[in-house]
Amino acid sequence: MESEVVVAHELKAPLSLMRQLALSLDYEESLEGAREVGKQIVATSDRAIRQVNDLTKIARLDEALFEMEPVNPRAVCDEVVNELWQWFKFNRRELSIDYRNKRRLAVANTQLLHSVVYNFCLNAMNYGGEELPSEIAVYDRGAKIRIEVRDFGPTIPTKIWREIKDGFVKKPVATPMRPGSSGLGLYIASRFSSYMHSDFGLIRHRDGTSFYIDLPVSGQLSFL
Amino acid sequence: MIFVLEDDCGWESYYRRLLKGQELAFFHDGIAAIAAMDFDEPPRLVILDVLLTGPTGFAVLNEMRSYPQLMDVPVVIVSSVSLPDDIAEKYGVVAAFDKGSMRPSDLLEIVGRYA
Repeated sequence: MESEVVVAHELKAPLSLMRQLALSLDYEESLEGAREVGKQIVATSDRAIRQVNDLTKIARLDEALFEMEPVNPRAVCDEVVNELWQWFKFNRRELSIDYRNKRRLAVANTQLLHSVVYNFCLNAMNYGGEELPSEIAVYDRGAKIRIEVRDFGPTIPTKIWREIKDGFVKKPVATPMRPGSSGLGLYIASRFSSYMHSDFGLIRHRDGTSFYIDLPVSGQLSFL
Repeated sequence: MIFVLEDDCGWESYYRRLLKGQELAFFHDGIAAIAAMDFDEPPRLVILDVLLTGPTGFAVLNEMRSYPQLMDVPVVIVSSVSLPDDIAEKYGVVAAFDKGSMRPSDLLEIVGRYA
């Protein structure tokens, strides 16, 4: 499938859902119910806007507008969870963080790292379940800090796995076993990781996949 | 029981609200859904997305139709894939809706008729 079609399909999903939710307001019997639907519309539109913003950022990567800086990985993960908790709640999913790292700073760009973790989490939500909560794990690996998000979806196709292993997803592609995430999130994460000279990879499990990004530790001390 | 084969959890949440009061069973993939179908008491209606985790909705439909006990189960396709106009007739389903243009009343009417 052409990458443009894949992107269009992925962007159509939240737009269609927002339309349905807005139309379904006529069938809500209580004000409280209508408010809940309103919140879901906002959360769905936030997700769509973020996807469009990320695609816009990819187009601007060549202009080198995103500076590398000392970043607190814990603060970025906290922000992502704050942004996504409601979306997870609407979808009857849970998201938690397990910090196992020392309080050190990493070298990254805050905006781009936020997008990488955000896309990992969205992917995990699609392939989680009520009994399979998603978790962000942050831990040290020598001179690197790893941020890892596990999902419980079908095994990643070998072609995509090889591309990720080689360090780059060339273009968003449809992944036949994982239509819920057509590859756009992985494409965004891989492009941003590559820009930040960080290692982006995955670990295949029998019942899912862990996606991770390894960030170099910054020489600056954390004051947090 | 209405079986809903849908692997987008946003849509799953939407169906739960719209079809409140109906007994719903959600599945992300067709293999699990068919395995869960009771031949003695098949679902009253199946709401089927096309792009599912694993086999597509059409593969699921063909598989269902291969069992005499499931052959007459009404199926409605609800998908974001653009489908040809004659899809319902071609695949023997009661209706086929595009997620981008469907109205809640379309689905409620089908549910009212079959479930």
